[in-house]
Amino acid sequence: MNRVSPAIPPLSAENVTVTFGDVKVLNSVSFSAGPGCLMGVVGPNGAGKSTLFNALVGLVPVNEGRVLIHGRSIDDSRGAVAYVPQFEKINARMPMKAEEVVMMGRTRRVGWLRRPGQVDREAVRSALEQVGMWERRSSIVSELSGGQRQRVFVARALAQGADILLLDEIFSGVDVASQESLVSVLHQLRDEGRTILMSSHDINHVAHCCDECLCINNHVCACGAPRDVLTSEVLTELYGPYGLAPVHGGILDGHPR
Amino acid sequence: MDILAEAFVTPFQYSFMVRALIVSVIVGIMCPVVGAYVVTRGLGFMGDALAHAVLPGMALAFMLGLSPFVGIVPTAIAVAFLIGYMTMRAGVSADTSIGILFAGTFALGLVMMTMAGGLPVDVEDIILGQVLGTSRTDVFITTGLAGVALILIWALHKEFVFTSFDPTGASVIGIPTRALDYTLLALLALVISIALQAVGVVLVISMLITPAATAQLLVRNFTQSMSLGAAIGAASAIIGLYLSFHYNLPSGPAMALVATGFFVLAAAYSRGILGALKKRAT
Repeated sequence: MNRVSPAIPPLSAENVTVTFGDVKVLNSVSFSAGPGCLMGVVGPNGAGKSTLFNALVGLVPVNEGRVLIHGRSIDDSRGAVAYVPQFEKINARMPMKAEEVVMMGRTRRVGWLRRPGQVDREAVRSALEQVGMWERRSSIVSELSGGQRQRVFVARALAQGADILLLDEIFSGVDVASQESLVSVLHQLRDEGRTILMSSHDINHVAHCCDECLCINNHVCACGAPRDVLTSEVLTELYGPYGLAPVHGGILDGHPR
Repeated sequence: MDILAEAFVTPFQYSFMVRALIVSVIVGIMCPVVGAYVVTRGLGFMGDALAHAVLPGMALAFMLGLSPFVGIVPTAIAVAFLIGYMTMRAGVSADTSIGILFAGTFALGLVMMTMAGGLPVDVEDIILGQVLGTSRTDVFITTGLAGVALILIWALHKEFVFTSFDPTGASVIGIPTRALDYTLLALLALVISIALQAVGVVLVISMLITPAATAQLLVRNFTQSMSLGAAIGAASAIIGLYLSFHYNLPSGPAMALVATGFFVLAAAYSRGILGALKKRAT
């Protein structure tokens, strides 16, 4: 982990604006995430969550503003950021074992024209052990359950040596029991000082497991601790006046303000 | 035993048979190796289109009295890049544009060959393959091109696997996924170019996808499926070559049929039909 100085946040966005054609998908989005932070990114469908993640890793060009990784540009800090895509973006027709997928995280370190060595195999082993998937290392990833699969991809991020993890819709297709073990892995990684951003539809979940919550709906509606941020005004801005249903019995009751 | 020896060994008294065997084995190995990507990335239609689309280049080479490879290889690579460019750009329906392109170029090639007349090849041989007509030069060119393709596939193996499995994750850590995609298309073009002699325009697709698909039914490991596919492909090509020699068949249909037979057997095996039959027998 290559922290430049404690004052520089691992991940920050400054007035990031992304335009597709005439549509501003992200409008001047600014936020920063410190070390040892699990940040939930919430917002309705089409709010720009995926676009934000894509912009943070350089998959989508930023029209205005900039993204800084440890104070440097994205191109200068490849490898520091790992992206755990939604499983639909993975080619499930390729039968890949869990350990092979985690080894992919070593690709850049191994380098062109080289084969993985002992150091790489050790890194894969320790990453799989950390997420509790070493025993399933020979399983085909597309045949694992949703939660196990996500843990394999988190292990890939660890094997890569990334200290910033972006997890897109990490709980989609993950049953409740597996969600708990996934969250405990994420908490452990956060406690080790990593910066983790996870997007989710499930605002209750974010409220319960994240340290900070970034609410976006084209622009940043609010950013801060869930109990400070998830007010009825912000939720109305995110989901409209009739979109509060999932919140009742959840965070508003669980976290009295 | 004598009959067997005669069937298998005698053909190789003819040097054309030795040349045909070399080319068949190379084609049988190379097609499934690249085919493993074709099958898992859904590039089958594209491969079929590429094989048809090289016809104008081939016709031009024959008209100029050059080796067909001089026309085939550049045409295949150019068409592969064009199709790649069209499919990677959003907003263009990939199969429609591929369909228009390959039908149009194939038709152009056929018209060119008919109009030129007196070419040193039969249109039927081009369409169905005639590996028995392989020249010494063809053997050298095929070996050279296959060598280049194999080195590239070996050297870029982990990068190709990563980009094929998870293009987003690969580009995030800085792997040049687009360049790799184009390299893979160029490899596909190369392999199709060398396969045309053996299996012909129409049946290239069978060597490209059938042995690779057969292997993937049998092993649940991508890299192993490449080697197994190569073995199945080579076996199909050699058996097909014998059938072609003994029964005077065009080599493309002979090899394609054998490959299909292997697929049917593997499908039966993997669904346990053979196991069930065995149980009944005991």
